[in-house]
Amino acid sequence: MTRIHDSNFFVKLVAAFAVMTAAWLLRDWRAGSALAIVVVGLLAVLRVPHLGTYLRGAALLVLLVVASWILNLMLQGERLDVALPVAFAMAARLVTTTAVFFFVMETSTPGSILAACSAARLPPIVTLVLSLTFGIIPMLREDFERIGDAQRARGMEIDDVSLPMRLRFALARGVPLLVQAIRMAHAISLSLSIYGFDLGRKRTTWREVGLLVEPRLQKGLSR
Amino acid sequence: MTLGVGENLLVCGAAGSGKTTLLGAASGIVPRLVTPTSFSGDVSLDDKPLHEISRDSLFARIGVVMQNVEDQLWDLGVEDLIAFPLENRGVARGELRARIDHLLTHFMLDDLRGRRVLSLSGGERRMVAIAAALAASPQILMLDEPTTGLDPAARQRLTGRLQEAASQTGALLITEQDPAPFEAIATTVRFIKGGQLSASRPAFNAMADQSLWHEAGILPPRRSLVPRASVTPGRELLSVREVETRLARKDGAPVLNGIDLTIREGEVVGLIGRNGAGKTTLFQAILGLAPIRKGAVGIDGQPTAGWTVARRARSIAYLPQNMRRILFNMTVREEVVFAITAGAKPGAETEAQAGAALAKYRLGDLAESNPFALSARQQALLGLACADAMQAKLAILDEPLLTRDREGRQMLDRFVDSFTGRGSAVLLISHDLDLVAELASRVLILEGGRIAFDGPAGASWTSPAFRALDWAPPQPVHTDFAA
Repeated sequence: MTRIHDSNFFVKLVAAFAVMTAAWLLRDWRAGSALAIVVVGLLAVLRVPHLGTYLRGAALLVLLVVASWILNLMLQGERLDVALPVAFAMAARLVTTTAVFFFVMETSTPGSILAACSAARLPPIVTLVLSLTFGIIPMLREDFERIGDAQRARGMEIDDVSLPMRLRFALARGVPLLVQAIRMAHAISLSLSIYGFDLGRKRTTWREVGLLVEPRLQKGLSR
Repeated sequence: MTLGVGENLLVCGAAGSGKTTLLGAASGIVPRLVTPTSFSGDVSLDDKPLHEISRDSLFARIGVVMQNVEDQLWDLGVEDLIAFPLENRGVARGELRARIDHLLTHFMLDDLRGRRVLSLSGGERRMVAIAAALAASPQILMLDEPTTGLDPAARQRLTGRLQEAASQTGALLITEQDPAPFEAIATTVRFIKGGQLSASRPAFNAMADQSLWHEAGILPPRRSLVPRASVTPGRELLSVREVETRLARKDGAPVLNGIDLTIREGEVVGLIGRNGAGKTTLFQAILGLAPIRKGAVGIDGQPTAGWTVARRARSIAYLPQNMRRILFNMTVREEVVFAITAGAKPGAETEAQAGAALAKYRLGDLAESNPFALSARQQALLGLACADAMQAKLAILDEPLLTRDREGRQMLDRFVDSFTGRGSAVLLISHDLDLVAELASRVLILEGGRIAFDGPAGASWTSPAFRALDWAPPQPVHTDFAA
């Protein structure tokens, strides 16, 4: 499965857009739900990291989308049996969309994105924007978890409390997360400067890039 | 200050003396990338002012590794980071691959191939960052406290590589609190105190002159160690029995594989082991942050199975080297109040207790400052104040920063005395063997996921487990006990 994780970032991106388009074109809620289930099932088969976290978020998303669409449509005078399929179809589209981009994000490191962009001789600004857009979200998620662990390790009870209290504590992590995000931005900017990143010069890459992107340099296989 | 061709200059000073700022200004990071409130004077490279040199050319000629190495890293792979300066300058793939391969092998970092930099231990990250700084063959290499977090073998490896690098690069500038690892490569030494730089001295003479180091507020490199007076251990505070973690190594073996240890009231226990031996996982298992597959952890005589991390943490204070990892309140005072209350409503005495703890560690004037705005040293002191104020049963100190300057050491001694004096205990995780020899009454050696040695500090340095590490033992220990 690692080889699929190692696919070229652009291959993953094209596949993700294709699946997303299919999901939004499907009008029948049963077909849309089936596609969503297949995509989520594939994430499990492909052992995408942090799937549990995604599933919790997706469950919350389904709940909110279904509830808000039913409420919205019924306020407009639609019957429940008409509102339900529309709400399920919308939830299915969103689950499929988020699942495919979750796959792209979780399996593409900033290094592999940089490599794919550099091999494609893209302008450095595009390379930078793509690497940061897809690379920074997992970093921020890890920081969010790390701050939670720090709070636990300092004695703050955030596990053995009610769900509303947990949500409140999760929101309270926003401030340190913001501080961390600013520090991260500073570190990235400093790193780009001292390691010679230049918007006016195209980059090269050490990796072999084709449909797959080489994940590591084997010892002695430098040529 | 001037740095000549072939010169390897070591600038030594206590924490907060201005070493990092000096290195920042010398490298051009200050004011080029980090703008201070005021800046005057000139820095030149080959007689050309830095501000007249393009940024690209400047950082191609000067390689920099900062003390807080996280400040210049992001989520790249090990090979990516080493290749980054070369890729950015358009070096061809074949040459890139050969250079990475050479540096990884040369720095003995082959086991880290394919790993993400942010998943490495502190010492491993630093070695990778130094390899990255050397990748573009800079004219001058500038390193801020490069041995922080490195085990003795890694330090030896680093100084060996730096010695080779020094013969290829034009000059080396190293700022440090601990001069000992650089005795063999430094040609000149300067001291910095209160932002003032001393005259340059030949390294050989400076190393032997203890008065220079005392004057600069640093513990001298060649000194006899004075161990603390040990306290007779009381009842059991922490017990770890046959603990095996779920977290496994590349070969499938658990990171901790049958750990057995006990810590008692009044003890200061030193834990040593190679980078990556499992020291971090051990404290995480004790706190419940790393799930265990087998075994049991007991705190203060009670089994902790089913306890949340927070419940364990109310008895155990953990102080990482990088305190930023565990700070999340908006003021220094709130951090200490949180340590006392664990997020519950403060009592009538809480503010007074917090104020007393801050005053004890000389942070009273910073009570309303933002903890993230403090220096690394002040954050380390804040950690001590928090742990002291919460009256924990056990403090786990992971590579404390305050070990080499006299004032910091005084604060650390105050903390240890305070803890052991009230019947609590300290677990000191450190690669600084001199510090372990002076503070710890008992030493644990972690190797291959097991405790390979558990015994009196004095006996540990001649044990087969220590010999297997192939590390130089600490300096000779005085038999007279410290007051």
